Amino acid sequence: MTKNRLTMWFLGLGGLITTVTFFMAFFYAPPSLFRDGRIDFAQKIFYFHVPVAEASFLVFFFTAFYGVRFLMTRRKEFDTKARVATEVTLVFVVLTLITGDLWTKFEWGAWWVWEPRLITYFIMTLLVIAYFVLRSSVEDEERRAVYAAVFGILAFIDAPISFAITRLVPSGFHPVVLKSGGLEPPMLLTFIIGQIGMLMLGYAIFRLRMGEEVTRERLETLKAALED
Amino acid sequence: MTGAALSWRQFKAILRKDIVMELRTKEMLTSMGLYTLLTMVIYQVALSQTGSAFNVRLIAAGLLWLAFVFTSMLGLNRSLVHEKDQGVLDALLLSPIDRPIIFFAKAVGNFVFLMVVEIISLPVFWFLFLSGGGPASVPIFTTLWQLLFALVLGSIGIAGVGTLLATMSVNTTGKDFVLALLFIPLMYPLLLPAVSSSSAAILGGMGATQQFWQGIGIMAGYDVLMLLAAYALYEFIIGA
Repeated sequence: MTKNRLTMWFLGLGGLITTVTFFMAFFYAPPSLFRDGRIDFAQKIFYFHVPVAEASFLVFFFTAFYGVRFLMTRRKEFDTKARVATEVTLVFVVLTLITGDLWTKFEWGAWWVWEPRLITYFIMTLLVIAYFVLRSSVEDEERRAVYAAVFGILAFIDAPISFAITRLVPSGFHPVVLKSGGLEPPMLLTFIIGQIGMLMLGYAIFRLRMGEEVTRERLETLKAALED
Repeated sequence: MTGAALSWRQFKAILRKDIVMELRTKEMLTSMGLYTLLTMVIYQVALSQTGSAFNVRLIAAGLLWLAFVFTSMLGLNRSLVHEKDQGVLDALLLSPIDRPIIFFAKAVGNFVFLMVVEIISLPVFWFLFLSGGGPASVPIFTTLWQLLFALVLGSIGIAGVGTLLATMSVNTTGKDFVLALLFIPLMYPLLLPAVSSSSAAILGGMGATQQFWQGIGIMAGYDVLMLLAAYALYEFIIGA
């Protein structure tokens, strides 16, 4: 029960904080300026895009983490957790791609540019989709769980490598904001608050989906018991 | 007999079985080789509207790797579908052989077949697309050994990760489609440096040596990392 209440708190707070971030982005954080002094409104998406992207990577870590746990213990709950984590990853990854793409169109004038971070997220989306196709393509339950765990681990190793490798090929497109120190304190604060809210939301969605799965599994067990 | 010597003998036995079977049927080499040749026909269609001013050399490395990636998927799938259909995989599991040895023997077999197909199709590709001359800024010998180096490192990664994935995909309902879906995103970080270093080998010019070695370094790193992961995970896959 307490865990459920915590989930609801996280969901509420996460929703509130991300909404607050939305307003802070427009009314609190100072506008970012182009070199010639024009206001760069497209930059506002940064407060949404970057938290989502970082959250997606963090949740994806749990796919691999629970995959390892499953292979070690062979307990079904870890498989379910890994699958739900991957579902949440899919949501975040798709959101990252969409928000990134809106920005790309505005800033670079093209809907798609083959640039390190875009490629990485494209590959990540494909990996997550492949994970689900693999699951639905294996009939035996135990085998499905093992395959999914193994692929989840490989995919999680693959994603940062793609990121590093695409960066090694010189390309000067994506702004490396944190590195250049171009964030004023109010901007940074807005960003950090947005990040916290997004992580809370991620956790809440994960817990809610897990609760749903647990209930569904209990229902299946009850049904099976009823038939006997 | 010591453990290492025994493992080595088991490894050789599985590898020999694959090679003998291939030499008798020639099924995999024929299908992979012809598939590569067919890909070249498609390339001709794709390049048919570019005109004579277009320098095919610029994209030659990419075209080569594209053909190899697709033909390798065909071969990987074949190499394990047979094992499953004829019950060899079950027999291997029953025999007292360490699982990693099965993995390495299968992976090395796939690597050998892939290398044979690549080495045969390389001159064919040159004959069909690059024999018209053009700016030969690199001595042919340099191009050749660099290309071979890149091919070996690329094929190690393809065979290693591919063997693991193909062992999974033969047990799915989607089979070759599932293999492609798992294989290509995982291969991306290998293909990019493979094309980069092969391109440097073919084109030459300023900074080519550096570009070549950078690609080779990345590929070697990927191979080590992914082979270790595949080696550690294969036991779970084959036991499932």
